[in-house]
Amino acid sequence: MNKKLFYLMLVFLFSSAITFAQKTVTGTVSDNNGAPLPGATVIVENTTQGVSTDFDGNFEISVAEGAVLVVSYVGYKTTKVKVGVQNNYSIALELDNALEAVVVTALGFTVNRDEQGSTSSVVQTEQVVRSGEATIANALSGKASGVTITRSNGDPGAGSAIRIRGANTISGASDPLIIVDGVPLNNTTSYAGGNGLSGGREGGTTQGSRLNDINPADIASITVLKGASAAAIWGSRASNGVVVITTKKGQSGQAKITYSSTYSFDEVSEKIPMQNTWGRGLSGNPALGTSTTAESWGDYIPDRAGGADAFDTSGGFFTAADGTVYYPITAKNSKETFVDSNWDSVFQTGDFFQNDLTISGGSENNTYFFSLSNLQQKGIIRESDYDRTNMRLNYNAKLNNIISFSAKTSYTYTDSNRIQQSSNLGGVMLGLLRTSPDFDNRDYIGTYTSSSGEEFTRRQRSYRRQLGNSSNPSYNNPLWTINEQVARTIVNRFTMTPELTIKPTNWLQVITRANADVSDDRRIYFFPIGSAGNQRLIGAYQEDEIATRDLNLDILGRANLDLTDDLNLTATLGWNLNDRKYNRNSGLITGFLVNSTKQTTSLNTSAEASTFDGFKTNRRSNRGYAVLGFDYADELFVNLSGGLEASSTVNGSFFYPAVDVAWDFTKTALKSDVLSFGKIRASWGQVGVQPGPHNFETLAEGGFGYSTYSDGISIDAFGGGFRLDNNLGNPNLKPEIKTEWEIGTDLRFFEDNLSFGITYYNNKIEDILLNVSLSPSSGFATQYGNFGAMENKGLEIDLGWKAVSNEDLNISATLNWSKNDNKVTDLFGTESISLSPGASVSSRAVVGYPLGVLFGTGSQKNPDGSFLLDANGFPQITSRPEVLGDPNPDWRGGLGIDVSYKKFNLNVVVEHSQGGDFSPRTLWVLNRFGTTQETANRMTLSQDLVNYAGNTIPSGTTVRGNIKDFGGGPVLLDESWYRTGIGGGFGDNQAYNFSLFDATFTKVRELSLSYTLDLPWLKNKIGLRNIIFTATGRNLININNIPGIDPEVNQYGVGNALGLDYFTNPQTKSILFKVVFNY
Amino acid sequence: MKKISYILTITIALLTIVSCEDIVDGINDNPNDIIVSDVEAQLFLTGSMLANVQINCGHLNRISGMYSGQLIGFSSLYSNIYGFNLSTAESNGEWNAIYVGVLTNTNHIINNSSNQLLIGIAKVVQAHAFGTAASLFGDVPYSEAGNPAISDPVFDPQIAVYTSAIALLDDAISTLSSANAASIPEDIFYGGDKNKWIAAANTLKARFYLHQKNYPSALTAAQSGIASASGDMKYQPLANPETDNNNLFWTILEGARAGDIGNNSGGSESYLLQILDNSNILSRNHAKTNETARRGYYTIDSSSGSANDGIIAELEPQNMVTYFENQLIMAEAAARAGTVSDGLPYLNAVRAWMNTGAHLNSNYQGMPYLYDPFVVTDFDASGIENQDNIDPKTAFLREVIEERYVSGFGMHMPYNDARRLRKTDGAFAVPFFLQDGPAPPYPERMPYSTTELNSNSNAPSDDPGIFVKTSVNQ
Repeated sequence: MNKKLFYLMLVFLFSSAITFAQKTVTGTVSDNNGAPLPGATVIVENTTQGVSTDFDGNFEISVAEGAVLVVSYVGYKTTKVKVGVQNNYSIALELDNALEAVVVTALGFTVNRDEQGSTSSVVQTEQVVRSGEATIANALSGKASGVTITRSNGDPGAGSAIRIRGANTISGASDPLIIVDGVPLNNTTSYAGGNGLSGGREGGTTQGSRLNDINPADIASITVLKGASAAAIWGSRASNGVVVITTKKGQSGQAKITYSSTYSFDEVSEKIPMQNTWGRGLSGNPALGTSTTAESWGDYIPDRAGGADAFDTSGGFFTAADGTVYYPITAKNSKETFVDSNWDSVFQTGDFFQNDLTISGGSENNTYFFSLSNLQQKGIIRESDYDRTNMRLNYNAKLNNIISFSAKTSYTYTDSNRIQQSSNLGGVMLGLLRTSPDFDNRDYIGTYTSSSGEEFTRRQRSYRRQLGNSSNPSYNNPLWTINEQVARTIVNRFTMTPELTIKPTNWLQVITRANADVSDDRRIYFFPIGSAGNQRLIGAYQEDEIATRDLNLDILGRANLDLTDDLNLTATLGWNLNDRKYNRNSGLITGFLVNSTKQTTSLNTSAEASTFDGFKTNRRSNRGYAVLGFDYADELFVNLSGGLEASSTVNGSFFYPAVDVAWDFTKTALKSDVLSFGKIRASWGQVGVQPGPHNFETLAEGGFGYSTYSDGISIDAFGGGFRLDNNLGNPNLKPEIKTEWEIGTDLRFFEDNLSFGITYYNNKIEDILLNVSLSPSSGFATQYGNFGAMENKGLEIDLGWKAVSNEDLNISATLNWSKNDNKVTDLFGTESISLSPGASVSSRAVVGYPLGVLFGTGSQKNPDGSFLLDANGFPQITSRPEVLGDPNPDWRGGLGIDVSYKKFNLNVVVEHSQGGDFSPRTLWVLNRFGTTQETANRMTLSQDLVNYAGNTIPSGTTVRGNIKDFGGGPVLLDESWYRTGIGGGFGDNQAYNFSLFDATFTKVRELSLSYTLDLPWLKNKIGLRNIIFTATGRNLININNIPGIDPEVNQYGVGNALGLDYFTNPQTKSILFKVVFNY
Repeated sequence: MKKISYILTITIALLTIVSCEDIVDGINDNPNDIIVSDVEAQLFLTGSMLANVQINCGHLNRISGMYSGQLIGFSSLYSNIYGFNLSTAESNGEWNAIYVGVLTNTNHIINNSSNQLLIGIAKVVQAHAFGTAASLFGDVPYSEAGNPAISDPVFDPQIAVYTSAIALLDDAISTLSSANAASIPEDIFYGGDKNKWIAAANTLKARFYLHQKNYPSALTAAQSGIASASGDMKYQPLANPETDNNNLFWTILEGARAGDIGNNSGGSESYLLQILDNSNILSRNHAKTNETARRGYYTIDSSSGSANDGIIAELEPQNMVTYFENQLIMAEAAARAGTVSDGLPYLNAVRAWMNTGAHLNSNYQGMPYLYDPFVVTDFDASGIENQDNIDPKTAFLREVIEERYVSGFGMHMPYNDARRLRKTDGAFAVPFFLQDGPAPPYPERMPYSTTELNSNSNAPSDDPGIFVKTSVNQ
């Protein structure tokens, strides 16, 4: 907008005395997704007469019939509309290019990005849909600078952690607040019921996050608000940034119907290289008979005699389901190995089939958007699945010029079966990858007949219990895990967002926006008798019923005021009330009387067999907020915002201030042919993290136990009782406060064809909420409170280039790059805090290091950094755990290329993560078990070498092992290193520094080609505007340094622990085919 | 500008009014756990007793067993510990049990209950835990401990802790004496039997005096101590389908620690088993003593918990404060003050009790055992207990200590005696050795817990180490 126009607009808007003797037309300007564009310019062609649209994109102008309205908005293609007899016009502007032009603020208002002093990234909806990811979080990967998505694993419906600008808190998750249509979305990932039975965070089933319930096809826009100032309006929930999602809105006019169908083939992204030359056993000797040996350090399989194994048929035996009989092996003759067939018995080509229908349209005053979607997914692990059905109806009605309302309702149903994973006696990968190559897992269930002839049905057969001759399998055969056990989660979820807008005058609107978000998550865990694990062994059936209910109410007024000719103020004033409830009830039956697979509480009806427990939380906050947006001469923009919040979890009220400034210096100060737009911006703000609920008091705790070393006794087993909670209450909890400033610039060159944005940010997070250990002698073990401090600083760069743009060919590219440096600065005397309980290499908060550093015993070093070797030339482990590495990457980048030629469109998204460390403890432990390729090397020594046990192996000996030089000359890494030494295994007595790998990876997230078919006969004959065919490859190219493990997996799921893998279910890669019919 | 002033006025009004805290008041009250004042004080008793069980019968007890030649660490963690690689992390469980488990909850009972019987019991449990703590660690926090207002309690001298524990036992005895008799189902040891508690408190007093080598006071206290085995304080596992209520040793061998610890494997036997073996040169069997049954009862099959039907069987009780300990304290203390004949009746009382097979379980009562009474001359030169012709009183004390060593299997008693007698009374200390383990010097204390060392600024910067003698054993 030039200045003249601006004056004109002001004149028009506020000089009600001026009237024109022409007819009045009204209209709405929106983007092509139906999101209104406030502040769009509507000018009568060849005149100076014009208006700009209001908050809802509405305008009203007096104009003669036959005149042409020129509608423009920054970042969109200017559109001309001829005024006819019609008095109302819906005008949809198409995006001018890939440059992101509008952003949606934390309160749900659309604003011009060029006028913002804080940074945000807009992710195009097309990109989200095209990525082929079934869940939104994963679809954001690589598409915005400073935004990191960490997937838990490739299980269908698994949750992902979203991090904006690194870690922002220690003990909680760093997931941002998700605002959908102006209200916060419940995006928790509940590990509830994560007890010894169902498995917790470190080993159990993956849990989804509630963000997954959103249908990507419903989304009109996604804006990521990174800085504190943009988010400050949400106070104590905004510390991790805000992701603002707007759902689609109907447009008046003829109904638009879109139907699309997607089919995807999913494969395991990487496979751990396993050996198939060494049999089960120890020290080169085969394990025979009923031996329970776990390792594959046995005989060399190619040297076996060949033919069938010899059996002892005199005693007990196992009869598989198909009648195959197994006897104890007395001599291994067979050279057959089963690495591939065992793998294939667990994994398959997964697939999903998704069908979406959307219908939108409406009349002048009533518009609707309706969608129906179903996704049916089969995971790459057999028996895992995810089924999701979404329905949505968004309805907007304008009653008159003063009152309008809208209602957005959605329903989601998901049903998913999850497979036990990670550190878990029933973990599928654990069972599979530890299996010796000479054992066939497939006959996993059957009848054991003892030597006395007694029969035991439904016995589990695994490589360590080859006859099923014990009721305790120790560890599950992976096929038992996937076929016999059940971990189903069924979610019903409703959201409803009614909104009433009253516009008493042309400069004021009052919005009342309410929201109810209700979900019911029912989880079923079923372990038939004979499943590995303490309670599972005797049969266990648990149901968790997790009900959540979030209510939100905003009443806000927004006024547009002209203070002087040049100075305009948009003032927003609001009140928010938010109430969130969580309620879990769990019932458990253990010790089945009947060896049945029917999931019913009738499996044991005695009172002692069943237990019931529950957990509730409730939190409420109450907030008043104000935003004052000053606009001086359309070139200087200042936003002041503040929120005063009282929250049930905080003692007292807290104020969250923010300010941001943007100056468009190309408006008047600098005019250049090269530089078409230039803005410098700065912002400062404070945001927070709310304390967890219900931590004020010290209460009486039941259900506790005392264990000193694998010898627990529990109060519940002695008639029940109480103790004072070992966690001391803290009535003085404050919110954790993040104070952030940032500075940056946005530049566009060559008529906006090249854009460049750079931002430097710096934040300090104080009063971090943590559970710290107290001196036990104070009488309490832990206390939750404000006990930490941390800082982040980083740089974000976004580049956009419209290389070619003409009728037939369009080529554009975007590049984003970001770097974040995090440091934990204070833990109030606590040495370190584990973010990954139960792990031998843990991810921790340690003062002076970035959050999440990998921590464990390492190797002793000399002052010069070389290893302090023992007499045999081997490293020696450190006496205490130490920092081993940093899982945080040095930088991350994303590259997007979009080429369209006529009706073809090619899209590429590449993501790269540079540096950082990863500890795939899966490989480490498998080296001990001797199943990895790394341990399979067979060679004849050409020199005398010493092994870890100190034995000299003479030259000429053929050995199983590798040669390595730790600095004291070559030594032999053999069984004594991997299995019994410090080079593979469990616990603290390992040289875990050798378990680390560089976590650098490059992935081609997306490679898609589409073709639009819009033949005239289609339109004429069957009313079809077009058909779009798309083929997408997702994560097809995946380059990293870790053998068989994707550095993107995360054993600890959604949370701040990073860089760990322990038999975590693998990631996927996919090929998708999609066809879209547009009516 | 009028609009501006409206806006500002409304802003200020809104911010001050709507953000008032009334709307959120009370929401943060915890809906899950129960308010402490709503819970009857006696419901805190069982938990504090279970914590005390771990202090006396848990991990550190197995370690003290290894360090006194009773047990052997075969593999994994226990083999490291057997080789004296004992890290501070190994004390975390007990330390938590002492302070978080026993102290906080017994204090809560003492301060909040009006039931004198309950208060008296809580005092005994607390004194028991702290006397044990002082014996294991040396100086420990007590006078300032258990008060959340003091985040870094000072470490009190070992002797001061003993003195406080004994004073608390005296206090408990007087509280119990004045209490009305009643039953307390939450009392997993005695069901609220006040006389048994008074007796046990006296035995504990005697034990703690003995640790401090105050033999006359030990004798006096023991004379009011546990007078029959029916008054023994034992951790009694329960026979119901629940887990987490079994013999602790059974539990660790039944779980993932199978094979890690025991007292015999592949021909190697601990010193304790060797002296019970009739065919071993170290055997303590003779014409009046036959330990065949006890050896069987004591022999641990470390391959799994359920392979055992003896002292670590799933439901086998574990001794905490017993009749035989009380008698043997008197035997030692009386003989020290007087002559062999002053101590002998007490030793013979224990032998008479054992001669009924009461120290065994029913699986072993069918095996041979014999504990004929000794006579004074048995300890004279060339007597049955003095084949090496030493001073008769020394010979008697040697037999008393050896009996404590054998009977005390599963308690801290043998380890405490070893440290108490090692220097001054070496002539009658049990000359045990660690089979397949390190040579002397043997450990003198358990390390402080990592959790305390990390969090308490009044804790030593590093643990003094396991070879530093505590004050009473200097």
